[in-house]
Amino acid sequence: MKRLIAALIAAGACLASPSARSEQLVTALSHDAVSITSNFTGSQVVIFGTIERDAQTVARSSNYEVVVALSGPLTTLVTRRKDRTVGLWINRDSERIGRVPSFLSVHSTNDLEAIAAPSLRAQLGIGLDMLPINATTSKTPPVRTDFEDAFLRLMQESRLYKQEEGSVEFLSAQLFRVPVVLPANVPVGTYTATVFLFRDGAMLSTTSEEMIIEKVGFEQLMTLYAHQHGLIYGIGTVLIACLTGWLAGIIFRRD
Amino acid sequence: MELYLPIAELPMNVFMLLGMGAAVGFLSGMFGVGGGFLLTPLLIFSGIPPAVAVATVSSQIVASSASGTLAYIRKKTIDVKLGGFLLVSGMIGSGIGVWVFGLLRAVGQLDLVIALSYVTFLSTVGALMLTEALRAIAAQRAGKPLPVGRPAARGWMQRLPLRVRFPRSKLAISAIPVVVLGVAIGFLGALLGIGGGFIMVPALIYILKVPTSIVIGTTLMQTLGTMAFATIMQASTNQTVDAVLGLCLMVGGVIGAQFGAQVGQRLRGETLRALLGLLVLSVGVRFAVDLVVMPKELYSITHSSGAGL
Repeated sequence: MKRLIAALIAAGACLASPSARSEQLVTALSHDAVSITSNFTGSQVVIFGTIERDAQTVARSSNYEVVVALSGPLTTLVTRRKDRTVGLWINRDSERIGRVPSFLSVHSTNDLEAIAAPSLRAQLGIGLDMLPINATTSKTPPVRTDFEDAFLRLMQESRLYKQEEGSVEFLSAQLFRVPVVLPANVPVGTYTATVFLFRDGAMLSTTSEEMIIEKVGFEQLMTLYAHQHGLIYGIGTVLIACLTGWLAGIIFRRD
Repeated sequence: MELYLPIAELPMNVFMLLGMGAAVGFLSGMFGVGGGFLLTPLLIFSGIPPAVAVATVSSQIVASSASGTLAYIRKKTIDVKLGGFLLVSGMIGSGIGVWVFGLLRAVGQLDLVIALSYVTFLSTVGALMLTEALRAIAAQRAGKPLPVGRPAARGWMQRLPLRVRFPRSKLAISAIPVVVLGVAIGFLGALLGIGGGFIMVPALIYILKVPTSIVIGTTLMQTLGTMAFATIMQASTNQTVDAVLGLCLMVGGVIGAQFGAQVGQRLRGETLRALLGLLVLSVGVRFAVDLVVMPKELYSITHSSGAGL
């Protein structure tokens, strides 16, 4: 949320300057909600957008650059490091990684370095290298600890974090689209797709769209029962287990 | 065929889960162990969050031990009275274990305690069983008669008060060692997410001198009760029991257990103990190697609550 506010403030600052007022982003998602059913093995959501210009807009010579970030609900994680102690490799030091998205997929038309200066990217939290940890953004790029580096690496290995530069595709001079793959282990919750429009290293406009990833039907029922009626759920599971064992005993009885 | 698991929150191949359940169930029926010490690490290795793996395995053990218990009841090789004593004390131990589990997690050393306990218990019990069984086999090969019957319980145990008769096992022993054993197994079970059969079986044979033929059925009965208790506790406190995952493992497990029980009846006691000892020992060594050899990845991420990612 703080990141979003920071982005909006930055957007407001950009919009305040008269020369940049004229470009407006209009964006849409292919799905408002992604349903997780028992055959869910991952999904894909497409983010569309168009750059609207009014008649007074001065003709631009250079190209627009677009950055799209789809981020999942915020979470707090702990990164631990194993150290050799009395000959054994055991978890020793740990570091809290506070208020980071549980899922993050960053897409752009070009290399992020070429789109905006590090200070602006750091301020907006654009890119995995600029991802704000503990929800702090500043004009200087964040200095990562070993734990934070390891955190970013492990999140990418588990396919929860991803950065694909050059994956935003322009269909016409103004219309662009980017498909975002949702892996099978995608966390449930409310997602935000933030789209940034840049030109010549300056941000012109930004929008954000919300999307929900939720379990439906049987999957939702199971989760609901497990969380709200744990005791009944547990007794039910034990009864099913006993029944399964008993049935197998009857079916496979050979003596 | 991929199936999305609602509590683990990821899809898994159904046939792989059935196969894993069947393989562990086979060993479970054959040796009278729950198989949790094999299945829990297997699930964690396949990507299931550890908290979900530990809790769900207990429900799978309920199914396979229910199936096994029934098979042994039909064969009348079960001591219900002894099993009942172990069961009630096991539940008390299980309650203490859950409390210590929370305590260790708060201190941040749960992982280490679990790994060290696995190494210590599995290696020691495995090595003891294996050497004893091999010695028995060697004595037999050499033509020497096996010690007939069971040596009388040691002196100090005979002098303990609260003597109880267990007619089915032809035993008259103090209730104290029985209850202590039950509490200890229940405690370790809750702490390590295992049924404890691999400790219970040798303890009944070597410490309480229960006849080998009755040990497996009685252990299965005790495992059934404590694991049912553990499943309900896990479901109501941690909400990490995945019934869909559990059902896949159960179906595979009970089928495997039926065949395992039949093979187990045909094998000689010494061979059975040697094989179980070897299996337990190798899992213990595997954990020891993980602790000693420098891991490929030094870092790991967990949720701030302590649950794995």
